[in-house]
Amino acid sequence: MKLVSIPKDKYNDYRLNLIFNAYKWDPQFLDNNTVAKYALVITEQEHKELEKLTEKLDKETRQAEEILNKNLEFTKPLALPKKIYKELKNMKNYQPEKHIRLMRYDFHPTIDKNWVVSEVNSDVPGGFAEASIMPQIAIDVLKEDKYWYKNFGDILTNAIVKKVKPKGTIMLVHCTSYSDDRQVMQFLGDKLKNMGFNIIYGAADHLRFKNNEAISILDGNEGKVDGIFRFTPLEWLIDIKPKHWQGYFDTITPSCNHPIAIFAQTKRFPLVWDFLEKQGVDLSTWRELLPETLEVKDAKNKESYIYKPACGRVGEKISIKEACKDDEYEKIIADVKKHPKKYLAQKRFNSKPVISEDGESFHVCLGSYSVDGKHSGYYARISKLPRIDSNAADIPVLIERGCE
Amino acid sequence: MTGIDIFKIWAPTEARWVDWVRPVPFVSIDNGFEVYEVIDFTIPNISYIKESKKDTAIIVDLPGNESIKEGLATAKLGFRPIPIYNGTDEQKGAMATVDNHSIKIGLIKGARELQKMEISNDAPPTFLLDSNRMNRFKMNVSVFDNSWDIYAQDIPSAEYFLKNGINKIIVRGEKIQKDLKKILYKFQKKGIKILYTNGYEEPKEVKIKKTLEKDD
Repeated sequence: MKLVSIPKDKYNDYRLNLIFNAYKWDPQFLDNNTVAKYALVITEQEHKELEKLTEKLDKETRQAEEILNKNLEFTKPLALPKKIYKELKNMKNYQPEKHIRLMRYDFHPTIDKNWVVSEVNSDVPGGFAEASIMPQIAIDVLKEDKYWYKNFGDILTNAIVKKVKPKGTIMLVHCTSYSDDRQVMQFLGDKLKNMGFNIIYGAADHLRFKNNEAISILDGNEGKVDGIFRFTPLEWLIDIKPKHWQGYFDTITPSCNHPIAIFAQTKRFPLVWDFLEKQGVDLSTWRELLPETLEVKDAKNKESYIYKPACGRVGEKISIKEACKDDEYEKIIADVKKHPKKYLAQKRFNSKPVISEDGESFHVCLGSYSVDGKHSGYYARISKLPRIDSNAADIPVLIERGCE
Repeated sequence: MTGIDIFKIWAPTEARWVDWVRPVPFVSIDNGFEVYEVIDFTIPNISYIKESKKDTAIIVDLPGNESIKEGLATAKLGFRPIPIYNGTDEQKGAMATVDNHSIKIGLIKGARELQKMEISNDAPPTFLLDSNRMNRFKMNVSVFDNSWDIYAQDIPSAEYFLKNGINKIIVRGEKIQKDLKKILYKFQKKGIKILYTNGYEEPKEVKIKKTLEKDD
């Protein structure tokens, strides 16, 4: 993989184009520009390898969640919030073929071996427009026909078309107070609207469930809902306490994602692998790619382990000391001691930075999507620090034709 | 003018501080957006500050368009107004908690005013906020909640302000709202002086008390 510069004289227009045409409404985070000055170019060979690994991981994950759904007594090590745990029994009617299963696996190039996967964003992965429009805008700026990309948005919406009735109503459930959630939903909503669907932007508590079917109660938009696209994380639903939020767990309305996603969303997912393997689930790809993961107590006195929150998002609260600001590291360690079950210990891997043409060094997190088991595109971020968090910059992923 | 034209007026690439202009209200402005809107857009005279100072930034936190008009009044004194509105549009047909629509009208009208002014590229910033942003009152659950908060990541860090010569921040508003307090408390700890004015009185230094956060 390599970094290819966006020409300096075109960068400002490129960034503006992303803001207005690629739903990049958050181009600045604190003092950091979140639009990279490069494109990330991978070879055809790297792409084929990532595609294969993503689909293998996805198959393993989906098998694992079906087994866990039938054996809830073995999910204790996941330490899911009690309120969620209580609802899991209502997922017995889950039929994978009725819903859309979307996941994103975060790959990192490393010094020790080719790829490491740090986690799967199983519940509500984001970055949709960055994986769909941003690469095309980059190709237009670079004026090179040797690059191509997989359009994630096309693949996702085609999967939705297969499972939601034509011209049906889809509610895009998100935290309506957050513009960074809305930008993801707006991209998807505009695309689905062009395909003939009736789109409702709503919050988690704007849905009610009757006979396991979703109904919108949003002012001026009341009525039956034919599809749910949820961008509010499952563990936030219980925090905001919408009435009848439990309906999400046993709904027969096609959902993306169904709450079944919670099993792999918790970063403590590897703590049930031994059980899963005894049930015949093949987790060999996960075993190969994910760094060793332990209970916090089992990592005591062991070197090179970091702590990650079980329900963490966008790199928050990961104890990589050099990436923490002010007293952040000390606060994380204090919290780990106080709530060890809300964390896990993971063997730290040595991220291999990619060097740009102008000699700058960046760590890469290459998110690889799957939709209903098929590889569906990429969303990547780069950072000068080894922890890829909200300070990282979004970068389009291009595949170089004929480049093995 | 389209949203992108208006955005470019508020955020000219060669000027300092414009990286923090939030695109959210601009992206849904289309040609002819304001045609039917008639609002009073008289820029007020302000007396709490006489001229811009290189070591001073302002945060104007007033209801709706008032913040834009007051921001333009500071622009006349040599400050660069930086709109950081972050509220989204409600779902069509739904009642909303905050009117983010009128901000767009203000930004269009404000752009015309800005075009008439000459602001130095290194002018200190005035950040513009809508004080109605945290209106979360819902008469019932069916209302669309498009209220919003300002977070630390939406403005420069304390270190950045200090590195760029800003060691005082004046808050102009009816009060210092709690989301802003969380940010400014940390700024104060890092050596930035926080002053407050209601618009009538001279800005006075205030000591902001720690607000308990979920993470603390």
